[in-house]
Amino acid sequence: MTDQIAFPDVVQLAVPLFIAAILAELAWIVLRKRGGRYETRDALTSLIMGAGNVASGILLGFIAYGFFMLLWQITPLDLGTSLPVILLCFVLDDLRYYWVHRFGHRIRWVWASHVNHHSSQHYNLTTALRQTWTGTFTFMMLVRAPLILAGFHPALVLFCGGLNLIYQFWIHTEAIGRLPRWVEAVMNTPSHHRVHHGRNARYLDANYAGVFIVWDKLFGTFVPEQESEKVDYGLVRNLGTFNPLRVAFHEWVGIFRDVTQPGITWRDRWMYMVAPPGWSHDGSRADTARIKADHLARHPEDRGTPGFS
Amino acid sequence: MPLPVLLALVVLGIGGIAVALHLLGLSAPRRLDEAGARAAWLREFPGDTVTAATVCADGSAALIAAHSGPGVVWTMGADTTARPLHGARSTAQGNGLTLHLPDFTAPRLQLRLTPQEADLWTRTLKDTA
Repeated sequence: MTDQIAFPDVVQLAVPLFIAAILAELAWIVLRKRGGRYETRDALTSLIMGAGNVASGILLGFIAYGFFMLLWQITPLDLGTSLPVILLCFVLDDLRYYWVHRFGHRIRWVWASHVNHHSSQHYNLTTALRQTWTGTFTFMMLVRAPLILAGFHPALVLFCGGLNLIYQFWIHTEAIGRLPRWVEAVMNTPSHHRVHHGRNARYLDANYAGVFIVWDKLFGTFVPEQESEKVDYGLVRNLGTFNPLRVAFHEWVGIFRDVTQPGITWRDRWMYMVAPPGWSHDGSRADTARIKADHLARHPEDRGTPGFS
Repeated sequence: MPLPVLLALVVLGIGGIAVALHLLGLSAPRRLDEAGARAAWLREFPGDTVTAATVCADGSAALIAAHSGPGVVWTMGADTTARPLHGARSTAQGNGLTLHLPDFTAPRLQLRLTPQEADLWTRTLKDTA
């Protein structure tokens, strides 16, 4: 079994590309006066979150990598690193990403890590870099275990994950409208991902794809961007701070406060950790299903349209 | 990539982009008017009904009277956010009030207010407590 396989850390290598692309998008928006919005403090917070994500990877990455190498010692399978295997790994890792991302929106423990990526009210290339600092604590590394047990080397799996992240960078923009029909049919695009960042009732919990939008179409979570309804970016309850520490940890603090409150059952405490965001023991908050139902009560004409079917 | 090179790239990249944004005038905060304040509240609480919106003289925040109770909307850079005032308290400061909200995501808000506006906010908060 091959232990010594090295792939480049493509995310680190892409940092100069990220910076150049942000400056290019900014220039486009300023010169053309369309294609998105930038605001200093929002962008600064996103960039600091991105730097923190890289730092947390350097500091905590050994935990996931150690777990993966343990699995690699156990598995009798080794698929090697031929080009077909790399391509297969990329596609399967994208399927893995779809489910991790879906869990990230439907399980509060995982949402606590992912929420900061959605906390900007802007949608530009800096938003792509507004990444989690606490991903290790979600234990979503477990979802990669089948890939490694199936014989994909951990270094290859992480390489494909890095490529996936880089692909998703460029789709965080309003400067690109719709792409040719075949691209929109198969790939995740700026249009599809704008929907994913929407706080409109119609767009909640849709389009979890990383690279291939076909996963959403396959699993019933695809909602196309509507000409008639502009995407409103951000959280259902938008943050009142640009402080990166509060952005990074606010949902964890929320979970802690909910779980430790007096007068609730152990089941309630468990549900505050694993139920979808917005769940509450007394029904005082609204989850996605209730937000959509409330919207339909106010706008019955939307019933049966995309996002409300 | 060697760590010192990565560090330099990140620091210079973040700093350079922030400076560019500021020099392009993209740090200017949004200013609210009454219609904007009402819309900002309804954006956060779409099922609610706003009965009054009193915008601060500097346009940075507004006191909202809504069916659900009193609330505050304020500008967040080029955007807005809003919170109910239940459980909030205020402390006086030189040119207005500091609003303390029971919310980790919006713990404090500096309100630049005229004496008349400060009085209105203080009375509202007293009634809410």
